Amino acid sequence: MEEDEKKLSKIGIVSCSGEDLPEGTISRLATLEVLHHKKPFDTTTICLPLYIAGGEGDRMFAKNHPTITVDGCEKLCAKKATEKYSGKVTHSINVRDFIKNAAEIKNKSNLNDSEKKLVSEVADVISLKVDEILKENNK
Amino acid sequence: MTGKKVVVIPCSGIGKPIGTVSRETANEVMRLRPDAADTVCLASLTSGDEEAIKKVKNNHVITLDGCAKHCAEKNTQACGKEPDKSYMILKFAAQNPDKKPEGIADIGKDGRELVKTISKKIISDIDEIIQNEKNRV
Repeated sequence: MEEDEKKLSKIGIVSCSGEDLPEGTISRLATLEVLHHKKPFDTTTICLPLYIAGGEGDRMFAKNHPTITVDGCEKLCAKKATEKYSGKVTHSINVRDFIKNAAEIKNKSNLNDSEKKLVSEVADVISLKVDEILKENNK
Repeated sequence: MTGKKVVVIPCSGIGKPIGTVSRETANEVMRLRPDAADTVCLASLTSGDEEAIKKVKNNHVITLDGCAKHCAEKNTQACGKEPDKSYMILKFAAQNPDKKPEGIADIGKDGRELVKTISKKIISDIDEIIQNEKNRV
């Protein structure tokens, strides 16, 4: 993929699935908030495990799109898997960097107010980063 | 309880409500069978996390996939483990047309009913797997 073609692409957002921890749900919902509400025309996504289960087209994702990964913990699975199978990520976000009181983040579904607030904060950060990348690419 | 648990691995597909149903089903099963059921982040299998792969290899596995790509099943197989059982959540949805999930972020009341229906089947499988394990010991 030529750099010029990549400049015209939507921004890719790849969330960890994080089934084993509440932060995985936060990363997933924040990603969905950006994809569906904040930046629906500027963003796209892929199911992360398709890097293994899918085809060559799926593994071209980060080559075709400037990509932001959203992870729920320090293992950074979304970032590592994207860079292992697809291509270098443009920006990486870890939900845990935004948690002020870890004791309040405990649900994997039926989120409490603190968890909903965190979803909103992380979605805002992703959205800002999308704007930055778009601005940079349109220079 | 034997030493082994049943690791329930959902696809969590981010593009369709049925992915959320698979995820919520895994959560519900763990809530109802905390001593027997466990899960692992599917993304950690994709990224090659050693701790996650070890957990999968040393326990029983049930995979829950939302679409024909079979990501949960294939990522489990890719780390050297054949799942004890693999389910396509879409088939449960087709068998229960009155329990249609609404959205990806919130599957709604009917979607949650579908989760309860699927969870009963998965829990029945888990109980059977654990019983078979006990009988072998």
